[in-house]
Amino acid sequence: MSTTWLPCGVYHQNYVQDHAWWQTKFIKAKMILLLIILFVIIPLVADSYVLSILNLVGYTILGAIGVQLLIGFCGQITLGHAAFIAVGAYTSTLLILEFPWPKILMDWGLAYPISILIAAIVSGAWSVLFGLPCARVKGFYLILTTMAAQFITVDFIITGYVSQIGGRGQAFSLPPGTIKVGPWIIDSDLKVYFMMLVLVIVCVIGVLNLIRSRVGRAWIAIRDNDISAEVMGINVVKYKLLAFYVAGSIGGVAGAFWISNLAAISPEHFPWFWSLWLVGVILIGGVGSIHGTIFGAVFMVVVMEMLQLAVIPLADTYPKLLMDFLFIKEAAFGLAICVFMIFEPNGLAYRWWQMKNYFNLWPFSY
Amino acid sequence: MFGKNMCSKIFVVIFTVALVVGFSSMAGAAKINVGALNDMTGATSDVGKDYALGIAEAIHYVNDNGGVNGKQIKLYQFDYGYRIPEALTKYKLFKRLKSVAILGWGTGDTEALSPTITKDKIPYVSASYSAHLTDPKKTPYNLFFATDYSTNARAAITAWFDKKWPKHKDFGKRKPRFLTSYMFASPYCSAPIKAIKDQAEILGFEIGPDQSVSLFAIDTKSQVLAMKDFKPDLVWHGNTTMSVAATVRDAYALGLGADHIVNNWGFDENLPRLAGKASEGVMGVAVCAFYGEDVPMMDKVVEYAKKYNPGIPPEKRLIRTVQGWGDVLILWEALKRADKAGGLSGENILKTGFETMKNFDIGLGAAPVNFTATDHRVAGIVPIYEIKDGKFQIVEKVDLKSRWPKKWADEWLGW
Repeated sequence: MSTTWLPCGVYHQNYVQDHAWWQTKFIKAKMILLLIILFVIIPLVADSYVLSILNLVGYTILGAIGVQLLIGFCGQITLGHAAFIAVGAYTSTLLILEFPWPKILMDWGLAYPISILIAAIVSGAWSVLFGLPCARVKGFYLILTTMAAQFITVDFIITGYVSQIGGRGQAFSLPPGTIKVGPWIIDSDLKVYFMMLVLVIVCVIGVLNLIRSRVGRAWIAIRDNDISAEVMGINVVKYKLLAFYVAGSIGGVAGAFWISNLAAISPEHFPWFWSLWLVGVILIGGVGSIHGTIFGAVFMVVVMEMLQLAVIPLADTYPKLLMDFLFIKEAAFGLAICVFMIFEPNGLAYRWWQMKNYFNLWPFSY
Repeated sequence: MFGKNMCSKIFVVIFTVALVVGFSSMAGAAKINVGALNDMTGATSDVGKDYALGIAEAIHYVNDNGGVNGKQIKLYQFDYGYRIPEALTKYKLFKRLKSVAILGWGTGDTEALSPTITKDKIPYVSASYSAHLTDPKKTPYNLFFATDYSTNARAAITAWFDKKWPKHKDFGKRKPRFLTSYMFASPYCSAPIKAIKDQAEILGFEIGPDQSVSLFAIDTKSQVLAMKDFKPDLVWHGNTTMSVAATVRDAYALGLGADHIVNNWGFDENLPRLAGKASEGVMGVAVCAFYGEDVPMMDKVVEYAKKYNPGIPPEKRLIRTVQGWGDVLILWEALKRADKAGGLSGENILKTGFETMKNFDIGLGAAPVNFTATDHRVAGIVPIYEIKDGKFQIVEKVDLKSRWPKKWADEWLGW
């Protein structure tokens, strides 16, 4: 059933209406306003620093959507997502630097967009490989198998072998001008920002559509009770692996996107800590909510950055504050997770839902 | 309820006072903003903490001595935990704060930022001494006061070849055997590997398989056992002190029987402390004097360490403090020269500041600094030390530039 509050006297008469995204004119106006803010106002007013923060938010969202899908919708706990992001980044980089692209594709700036698609496919397949144990194990045991993805993929294969391709040493250099989308060379924060927006919107729409399909319902059934799901005729292993595939693919898109923001990549860009960070993002944002993923990413990146900006004016009097800020940030990360687990276990998404309800029902909220 | 209200009020008052004090201190004399990116909590924090203290103390010294022709330097110093996304956003923040120059840290982030730095024309004086940053054609705005990793590595293997190999029982009977031990994933550790292998070939070594040792490693027995299969005479350690100490200790315990040479970030006062007897005879690179040594300017380094960080006893301070001073002192000189010559634009700092330094002596036991428009390698002479009775003794000053002048001029720049 739709969770949208409709004006008095307006009723849904079929499932299409019930599942529509923008169900009222007010919602439509709100979303158009949001798109105007994202595509017009922010690019006009934001400087390079603000855009770089927003690009990091986008990268975090793209990374965390896959984690949300696995943990929040399919109930498969993962702590190795940075590995799939790394696979995407390296696949895209290698394709751009090493693959003999036909001249026409290079001239039309299609090499990078195609490399993103291939990165998504390869990362998805790689993710399935590490998802295979989910047929037999779950919970803590699955955490360990997904953690293995990090050590096998990044520390062993990418570091030891993939990084050596082309004799570049450990870091793959991506000089400005290497990454081109259509006629645009991606060489500024603004261009990266627009690309990020498009990718985030495409991935969010894709996942939201999947979730309200038969596949999504199967995932949710498995999350709620895998035995019951199996009894109902759902092929549990197939759908779990499909979740790993989709999550890995989106991770691959995240990695392929992130290289546009860098001039060189090395295995150091994909530490295991990033997987843990992404789990923190969905815990704070709200497990089982795509909105929550976005809120969590904004909270973890923007709020921390704002806290830092607030600290800068105090640095003359309390110089240690700046240098110790990362301690404060790490502590705030841990504390935020504890606080959310205790006081807001459904995350920021639930708080958002409550706020919407308050205004929708105002002044008769009973 | 009353208690809760009181607490809120007290919190608001304290926060307001803190803000007022903070903001009021922003007003004052003309200031030049400089950003600093340091690692206090990440993979290289074993050497990064002391370097960060050195940076802050050196900036105090600069400001106490007139700043940049009367203008005080305002330092924005952040810990980025050796995380590259964090480094990228901090760089943009420094740009927003209108920093005239940045004091950077790791090789991974410095190399990742390098094209952006070139585009933005912001001088970036890093603690990464990667040779990839020394070719002004590719990375004109990346600078540092020390000899680069590749030069250090070439010098270290040459010093061992000159001084130790002739005394070996197999000298003249076979080629010396050499392998490297470093964290493959780290651009810092891997930066000089190609160069040291090239030097090993020039000197006639037999080269064995590389061993990957994490920067976080505390147990390296499996890597040492793998080394034993090759029976090396010499091992290059490219990590930082903590993991180098672990490897040297395990090599000693398992009877590897090889000598060790260490890059500069793995060779400091903590190595004999952590590795004990196993560190005897270990050779390594030091790009400046060790903390407290009797060299020009060291009295200031010690004085400012006592003044601003009295809680840290002198025996805990490291050569890293001195390295921090080295980078600050060349930046200070470049800023002063550029300011006199017309202003503190990035291009001016580079052209009329750094690139006018010819045999500029910063003291601290460091090599005189040279930068030209075509070559940002500061020097070709590298002092190599050996640990004897827990102390550092100089073995040889290897002059690569004089010994291989053609290769130095034509082949070795930028890698």
